[in-house]
Amino acid sequence: MKRTTIIILACMLTTMAAMAQTGLNINRLFDGRYKKAADATEIIVTGSQAHEIGLTIYHSISVTEKAQAEIIENLVVKDGAKAIDKEVEYRNGQLYYGFYTLPKYKRSNRYIFFLNQNLARKSPKNVVTLIYMEGDASAEKIKKLIRK
Amino acid sequence: MNKNHHITTQAELEELIERYFDGDTSVLEEQMLRETLADCPWSSEVIDEARFTMGYFAAHSHEGQRVARKNNRNKFIGIAASIAIVLAAGGYALWHQQQSAGVCIAYVNGQIVQDDDKVMALIVNDLSMMDNAADAMTDQLSSLGAALELDNE
Repeated sequence: MKRTTIIILACMLTTMAAMAQTGLNINRLFDGRYKKAADATEIIVTGSQAHEIGLTIYHSISVTEKAQAEIIENLVVKDGAKAIDKEVEYRNGQLYYGFYTLPKYKRSNRYIFFLNQNLARKSPKNVVTLIYMEGDASAEKIKKLIRK
Repeated sequence: MNKNHHITTQAELEELIERYFDGDTSVLEEQMLRETLADCPWSSEVIDEARFTMGYFAAHSHEGQRVARKNNRNKFIGIAASIAIVLAAGGYALWHQQQSAGVCIAYVNGQIVQDDDKVMALIVNDLSMMDNAADAMTDQLSSLGAALELDNE
């Protein structure tokens, strides 16, 4: 009986571990809440399309509702605290730009980009963008990617 | 045999079996016979044949029934575990297949976009915004560096 229970639990945990992403705080934002929102854009790319840019997962959210900016920023900052490398810029006490390299997860590199364009000096826009990337790509490659 | 009589010897049991097959037993006696066959440790050609005929061949005692029930329960747990394993493996395989096949989808203001090119264009737009912000930061650092150099001259 015990052995059977252990086997079932092991199978369930393996499946759950495979399905769960990474235990990041920002995962809460990727629960589908923005898919039907009138003031948001959510992009999900995995598989061959993501592979073309050296990634296994590309997941982003752009939101124009100001109230969401603080929520997203707080979660990003929490995850950013665990980053092994980061480039951040604060403006008026708020996070304007952040590029975080997170510890690897199952041999995959993980990155978070954050940008609050409300704080841009030149032509500010009411848009907050969060990007989560996962894959083989190095931080340098990711930076090159955004400079394409 | 009266209602309260119990079979205490193998001979009594064999006699009752013979009467059973002759059709001379009462309902109560048949019930007692069945209980005795299920419980007793005796064995002989007549008794075994009666057990076989009356369905006690496999489970001829409480211990046998207990073992049979335990086996059935273990079989049920085994089947349940197998189903759970198959479902878990199937779920994982499906998930893995979806991951391999890939997803390329965007939701823009509540509208779904499934055209790969359009989704990739949205990504380029995202990355371009990040690039501009990173450039602004680099410019700022360059300006700081230039200002420090001027200050040191």
